[in-house]
Amino acid sequence: MKAKKGQVRVITGNAVGAYGAMVCRPEVVAAYPITPQSEIAELLSQFKADGVLDAEYVEVEGENSAMNVVLAASIAGARVFTATSSYGLVFMYDALQETSGFRAPVVMVNANRETPGIHAVSSGQQDMISARDTGWVQIVVENDQEILDQTIMAYRLAEDYDIQLPVMVNYDGFYLSYLAEAVEIPNIEDVDEFLAPLKQQPERQKLVPGVSIGCGTHGMEMGYVEARYKHCMALERVKNKVDEIDKAFGDYFGRSYGGQIEEYRTEGAEIIVLASGSAAGTVRTVVDTKREEGVKVGMVKLRLFRPFPAERLIKALKGKKAIGVIDRSLCFGWKYGPICMELKTLAVNIGAIPILSYIDGLANLDINVPHIERVIDEVNAAAQGKPYQEVTWIPMEE
Amino acid sequence: MVEKTKKKSRVFNYFCEEDQFAGGVAWCSGCPLELTARFVPKVLGKNVVFVGTPGCAAPVLHGQNVGAWHRLAYMASVMTGVPSKATGLSRYYRRIGQDATVVCFTGDGCATDVGFQPLSGAAERGEHIIYLAYDNEGYMNTGNQRSSATPLGAATTTTPVGKIGRGKTTVSKNMPLVMLMHRPAYMATATLSHLEDFAKKLVKAKEKVKEGFVYLHVFSPCPVGWRINSNMSIEVCRTAVRTNYFPLWEAEDGKPRFTVEIANPKPVAELTKLMRKFSHLKEDGLAELQKAVDERYALVKNLCDAYK
Amino acid sequence: MVIKHKNIFKTESAWSNADEKLLCLDTGSWRTERPVLDKEKCNYCGLCALYCPPQCMKDMGDYFEADLAFCKGCGICATECPRKAITMVPEGEFADEG
Repeated sequence: MKAKKGQVRVITGNAVGAYGAMVCRPEVVAAYPITPQSEIAELLSQFKADGVLDAEYVEVEGENSAMNVVLAASIAGARVFTATSSYGLVFMYDALQETSGFRAPVVMVNANRETPGIHAVSSGQQDMISARDTGWVQIVVENDQEILDQTIMAYRLAEDYDIQLPVMVNYDGFYLSYLAEAVEIPNIEDVDEFLAPLKQQPERQKLVPGVSIGCGTHGMEMGYVEARYKHCMALERVKNKVDEIDKAFGDYFGRSYGGQIEEYRTEGAEIIVLASGSAAGTVRTVVDTKREEGVKVGMVKLRLFRPFPAERLIKALKGKKAIGVIDRSLCFGWKYGPICMELKTLAVNIGAIPILSYIDGLANLDINVPHIERVIDEVNAAAQGKPYQEVTWIPMEE
Repeated sequence: MVEKTKKKSRVFNYFCEEDQFAGGVAWCSGCPLELTARFVPKVLGKNVVFVGTPGCAAPVLHGQNVGAWHRLAYMASVMTGVPSKATGLSRYYRRIGQDATVVCFTGDGCATDVGFQPLSGAAERGEHIIYLAYDNEGYMNTGNQRSSATPLGAATTTTPVGKIGRGKTTVSKNMPLVMLMHRPAYMATATLSHLEDFAKKLVKAKEKVKEGFVYLHVFSPCPVGWRINSNMSIEVCRTAVRTNYFPLWEAEDGKPRFTVEIANPKPVAELTKLMRKFSHLKEDGLAELQKAVDERYALVKNLCDAYK
Repeated sequence: MVIKHKNIFKTESAWSNADEKLLCLDTGSWRTERPVLDKEKCNYCGLCALYCPPQCMKDMGDYFEADLAFCKGCGICATECPRKAITMVPEGEFADEG
């Protein structure tokens, strides 16, 4: 069975986020405006005012409350949605941990933006990276259509009985949030159909008045260990589930993204550029050019950041001669970027090959074609056994 | 032989539910918070959901692994998330037509300090939740540190008395008035010496929460932190009312009125002598505290008079 | 990894469940004094029961009696009784009861 053709509209990434939520029929939505996400909060309010979104919409007084509202509504049994950015995500920090700890299937989109260490109203993945140990599933997307499709897939993942975890869909703020692209918005009935398998599953535990149960009990000794172990095991199960859902989505809607990672021209490639988010689009173009020049280069786009897709990465990268990793954020206390640092933990499995770390695209600086050409040239040289620089802050050398 | 009237107090008539707590729970001997926690669900009846947070109530409200100390439906929260969680619950229960009375049950530290923002937000939005703050004038569970609800002159572990220090140097945040300014559907102060007054307010709270936000501020002395003899905590509540230190009033639809009026209020020294947290206060310190009490009472009285 | 642990929670997340396990402390052992009632003076008004923080006064039909399993011995009932019908007596005097 296939979904009918949806409505094609040219809309911004933010609008896509709002549509993505709307077609999944959330019952409780809470959001607080922040640049560059504000449009989502506005649009969802408008959908509600226009009667096309039948949800409780809570105009909270801060992001921390937004997360707490949707967490509790989710525990009561609701399908929920929220959206934020940067400082907003940081302000949710305690609630992020409770949400995953309570195993609430909250779906949130996060328009990536730099964080308050240095005040900046610009793109960067530092917010997402700063929330990596909150126990959430974190997915990074590349373009507007993927924001929408991944939001739908996020519900199927979060609410799966075997998963029961909150899912954060990340997209580059400023780049995608304000970029209008042609996007196919699926028919809501088709989204219902795609999410219908969730209804065949056992019911998760819910907080019901008059029933003697308590959510958020003190985990004492082995109770704590057990709850944490189950959380980590659920995160492990996320990996294959992401691939399965991506395939099911592709079969039904005709679009798929590779699941945990996307491999682009990796077959026969000797060197790989590992990138994520909107930069992957540019990398793809440069890979094509370089291939024409005879450079055996491919790209791996990291889609799933948490849990880290170790097995898929090992499979994709084993046997390669060198890898360049482009990070749009920092890993304080390590000289490498965060994704590079995580990839290095797989060195034993991949083989002792050069892994070059590139810091680029901070604070709205473009990860442009010359930058990526440079990365490919240097990684290629390293693959030939030439000396290389382990870490390069590209803008600092220009 | 004494003639027995055999007539039980009218307060019993307000109970419509059994005690929801286990017989033995970890609240200190003589603590009015224990009485509050057991009393409230008895009056509010079925389908109560409590949202609680770290504080004196947490050791009993939070479960321990599968075990629980009470039979209430319950959600635990960090201090910054209580009214927001209650909002999420209440919005969804109302949407699906599930009868529920959602009650936030926190201490004054959560209500007046770290959890104030979401409380203010939920009140402004008119969420259908009851927020009950049990006011023991400080962070008593962590060992008697000062909060915004700690009164002028009080000795706490973070406003200690020493060679220079004379206890807390500022008056407490006037939380009931702060909440009145949010124009809730209903708000009231209450304490454990005046149980019928408290029960009536809970009944009203349950009714008015259907219209919007309800705030209840319950004066709850801490026998350990304030250094009161355990048998005297109810008497401390009573004296706080009789000195106008803690006046009993309510505001339905924004109109404040006293529910208990004291004809001849006693000096605040009658209250401070019942505990040791003010024992360092000399005449001038007591005079300052009396001034603060009078000022605060006059403010509420003027408001009540304006609506007479 | 060989898991030897037997699951505590039936649910994925950590929920308490009073129907499964209602916790209870032996708070009676905290007591240093116990309330003793003079039934002659009691007029069954129930204020002792209303003010009792652990709510452990049992309604005996025409008087109230503390449940010594839970009574913490705070003495509020004795202080609040309008007829002074309750006296707090040191536990030592009941030592022979075991």
